[in-house]
Amino acid sequence: MSFEPKIIAFCCHWCSYAAADTAALMRRTYPINVRIIRVMCSGMVSPKLVLEALQQGADGVLVLGCPLGECHYKEGNYRAQEWAEMIKELLADMGYEPERFQLAWCSASEAEKFVEIITSMTRRIKKLGPVENQNG
Amino acid sequence: MAEKKTTGAVLILGSGVAGIQAALDLAEMGFKVYLVEKKGAIGGLMARLDKTFPTNECAV
Amino acid sequence: MECGRHFNIEILTRTELLDIQGRPGNFRVSLRRYPRYVDIKRCIACGACADKCPQVVPETTKNLGSRKAIYLEHPQAVPLKYQIDPLSCLKLTENSCGLCEELCPTQAINFEEREEVLEYEVGAVILAPGLKPFDPSRVGLWGWQSPDVLTALEFEYLLAQSTRTNTPLRRPSTGNPVKNIAFLQCVGSRDLNHCDHPYCSTVCCMFAIKEALLARQRNARLEISIFYTDMRAYGKDFERYYQEASEKKGIRFVRSRLHAVEFCPQRKKLRLHYVNIEGRQVEEWYDMVVLAVGLEVPPDIIELAHRLGLRLTANNFAATSAFKPVDTSKPGIFVCGAFSGPKDIAQAVTEGSAAAAAVAEILAPVRPARQVSQNQLPQTIQGDQKPRIGVFLCHCGNNISSVIDLEALLTYAQGLADVVWAEKHLFLCSQEAQKRLQEVIRDKGLNRVVIGACSPRTHEFLFRRALREAGINQYLLEMANLRHHVAWVHPQFKEETTQKAKDLIAMAVAKVRCQEVLYPLEVPVMKRALVLGGGVAGMECALSLARQGFEVFLVEKSASLGGNARHLSYTWTYENVQYHLLKLRKEVEKNPLIKIFLRAEVVKVAGHIGEFATTISSHGRRKTIRHAVGIIAIGGGMYRPFGEYGYGEYEEVFTSLEFDTVRAAGDFRVKRARNFVFIQCVGSREPGRLYCSKVCCTHSIQTAIDLKKEDPSRRVYILYRDIRTYGEREILYQKARKLGVVFINYDLHGTPKVSKSSRGLCIEVWDHILHRPLEINTDVLVLATAIVPNPKVRELASLYSLAVDSHGFFLEAHSKMRPVDFLTDGLFMAGLSHYPMPLEESVAQAKAAAARAATILAKDTVSLDPVVATVDLARCDGCALCLDVCPYKAISPLEIEEGDSRVKKIQIDKVRCKGCGICQAICPQECIAVANFTLTQLRAQIRAALSGEL
Repeated sequence: MSFEPKIIAFCCHWCSYAAADTAALMRRTYPINVRIIRVMCSGMVSPKLVLEALQQGADGVLVLGCPLGECHYKEGNYRAQEWAEMIKELLADMGYEPERFQLAWCSASEAEKFVEIITSMTRRIKKLGPVENQNG
Repeated sequence: MAEKKTTGAVLILGSGVAGIQAALDLAEMGFKVYLVEKKGAIGGLMARLDKTFPTNECAV
Repeated sequence: MECGRHFNIEILTRTELLDIQGRPGNFRVSLRRYPRYVDIKRCIACGACADKCPQVVPETTKNLGSRKAIYLEHPQAVPLKYQIDPLSCLKLTENSCGLCEELCPTQAINFEEREEVLEYEVGAVILAPGLKPFDPSRVGLWGWQSPDVLTALEFEYLLAQSTRTNTPLRRPSTGNPVKNIAFLQCVGSRDLNHCDHPYCSTVCCMFAIKEALLARQRNARLEISIFYTDMRAYGKDFERYYQEASEKKGIRFVRSRLHAVEFCPQRKKLRLHYVNIEGRQVEEWYDMVVLAVGLEVPPDIIELAHRLGLRLTANNFAATSAFKPVDTSKPGIFVCGAFSGPKDIAQAVTEGSAAAAAVAEILAPVRPARQVSQNQLPQTIQGDQKPRIGVFLCHCGNNISSVIDLEALLTYAQGLADVVWAEKHLFLCSQEAQKRLQEVIRDKGLNRVVIGACSPRTHEFLFRRALREAGINQYLLEMANLRHHVAWVHPQFKEETTQKAKDLIAMAVAKVRCQEVLYPLEVPVMKRALVLGGGVAGMECALSLARQGFEVFLVEKSASLGGNARHLSYTWTYENVQYHLLKLRKEVEKNPLIKIFLRAEVVKVAGHIGEFATTISSHGRRKTIRHAVGIIAIGGGMYRPFGEYGYGEYEEVFTSLEFDTVRAAGDFRVKRARNFVFIQCVGSREPGRLYCSKVCCTHSIQTAIDLKKEDPSRRVYILYRDIRTYGEREILYQKARKLGVVFINYDLHGTPKVSKSSRGLCIEVWDHILHRPLEINTDVLVLATAIVPNPKVRELASLYSLAVDSHGFFLEAHSKMRPVDFLTDGLFMAGLSHYPMPLEESVAQAKAAAARAATILAKDTVSLDPVVATVDLARCDGCALCLDVCPYKAISPLEIEEGDSRVKKIQIDKVRCKGCGICQAICPQECIAVANFTLTQLRAQIRAALSGEL
């Protein structure tokens, strides 16, 4: 059987979660591998949470926020960007492929962009295969 | 004077951004609002735009 | 949109206003409602009808594609309900088909619906009908008949389509990718030759720049040229946007006069003819042409206005006064938005609030005295008891059940820890199901609820209400979005969908298990407003609030009321400013609800929305004012260009306001003068002050007209960069030119040079038609100087923790949707401390701020969302990392006694906090938790999501 990864997507309430809803209203389809967790702001998702998700068996983690300059909390997504830098370093330190994490933006109306992000992430993770057991 | 009692309700014609803002503020103050729109949904021109200047953000 | 669910707003769609009878306070309005043929209460927007509807109707607007005879207005429509187009529906036109009626799972279709006339009693009416785009097919020479010539709106749809499908922009005619685009400005605006629209439509310049930038985002190699007369980037942050587009984003701006566009069948391209700034005829070839069409009042609205007897301007806009910008000529009937003249979104929103204030002023006596907060129902069951979770699943007709095996899901849910009950319904949102939900909560003693249905964004409020009415805390709820995140997006999968649905339910159960009881924060409202600034904006705002019945403290720094308006003689429509100012001042001074403090300044600020405590110092004495809301309207200043253009050096050089004063005083330097030169944009639109001061073009043109009218033999020159007479001000510009005022553009060849000669002043400017420097000898030089921010802005910003923009003006919460709100709740702004603006816009902002403030003052308490952060002091080590990242400055250091020592901690102001959770993310001790989204909850969701197989 082919590898079916599990991807956690943290979506902010104001933009990206709404984009997922819009995608549904427009009846777009995308890979079934993603599990959406609603948060208020992408800046709420700490590097710790992302790492924990990977350690607990997620094959990939997405953090989706409002486009820069549109954050409901003015600057939350800029923080998310800072966290993303830290996450990338931590991933490297712990031996995860950098592709397992992605931070991206999509506004409430950008259903296609949402679908595209999910689709390409899934494709990428499928190619990458499951997370190698960290402890050997 | 046999003045009729004033009615605490407001009719707003048009549900573009201006009409919607007026409706929300009056409703929050406690007035009853009838928001009248010719089309099948509210929102006016702006609801149909994807992005607005100067910040290019999503319209709704 | 909140509007769809506000309990005080009733939305009447497909409805027209027929007539208004009666008087202010007691109008009787009649409306005509056209049938929708779909019952709004029943329609669940599942789309089964449109899916099978055989009638495809092409949209009349290019690039909007087609729709069915039963359709949604657009995917994000409010209300999100289908409607039937009676002109194309087979059942309604030839009594056949009727498929939708058979297919509708909720029996929402009703072909028996008929047009009806409705009557309502209202106290006031607001007209906000908006404008319609100019129809370019009326003018042959713009070539709109060619498929590659689009209006700006049609181009927007094409662009959206290309973004959605991630395909390149293609020419509608050939399907080949677009390589270059020309935007043509002022189509149907500023044009008396091809249409009778002398006015400027105000928004098209910025709209074109926006579209150009978006198009470049799609394709960085796209060549885009914008052909314009004057680039009208007059609003807040517009100039920066324009300059960036031109200098950094590679958009080509061509100042020109357009002749025509035609399609050349041989070259399969569009030929554009224009005259450039040097007066030469130029021909260029384009793949696509976008017409930045203007706006006009729709004919049915003109007709309505005539029926109601409203006074209109020459161009059919609702006539208003600068001092009453939202009053029509009929008392009790108000106007907002573009119907009173074309305007951008921020101004339209501002006027929406202003109209609300105007209405509230006349209806103040009947405003409901107290509003009961919906959250204050008794709650018997508490959340700290052992979780007893109930799971409710929704078929949504067959929207969910056709894709997900709900039986299997139900069994799965019943097996989850702490789930004591699970059941499913055909439609959970139906009234019967809502009632049943409440019964089950009570009968089974549930204290947590999971709803497996649709999106919390649209339905959470409904289920929260059910919980409330069942007597349990409304926050003990979690929704699993089975419809939007599984059923509708994964129809191609089979068993996997049920597996994903199981994960979603498990995640919701895991999250709600650790959900705590939350109560909205009820902050009492001290029924008083503080207005800072006694100029026109401050006075208008204070007066509006007082007329609405609220007590106002008006604080002015100087010794008298009036502000900058004291220096103005008339508005752009020639209304006498001093007369109105005096009237306003008298009214403010005699209003018993307004208390005025002169020579007073703010020295200390404490508190928050509902109860601020502002200490002012007046005549050496301090006084603390307690108030629920604050409006800051401290005005702006005038730029004094010492060292530029001989200002301060030669006595013939004045700023605009100085010139007005000496002219009014009959100064000999003006009386004697034969030649007058105006230089525009002095101190505006330059590095360091990259904004347009908005009022100076109109002001100089008005002065020029006066000078010419007094003595037509005078020579008057206006040296400009772009003439920004937006809206109907454009007519003044045309009038000035007719009177012989000479306009010379200096944008391309640098600023004019000023020197002193024996015959007065000599101004040297480049003549771009004759290609040589032109020397103008003048007796008077008037500098149209910038409006600059009040230095006190920064001072107040630091006292109230407010944001300031890069120029030193106050920064609003949202440039479009919340133009007069600060990000801090309970504080609002108006007038020149926000941005340069003419008088009527100041008044509109002042009234808007009054309306926004009144939404708070009208209540006894303000209810704030409890989704905010709290700190566990026992674990906080006072590292203070959270302090700097909080966008709301809600976190402050705290020192507490611990044993005999004092230790550092932090505290979070629950009123300021908006629950973004950045502090939760940064806290190394994990001792900050945002309610509803705690780390424990997010972790539980992650674990549950990963527990299933896939």
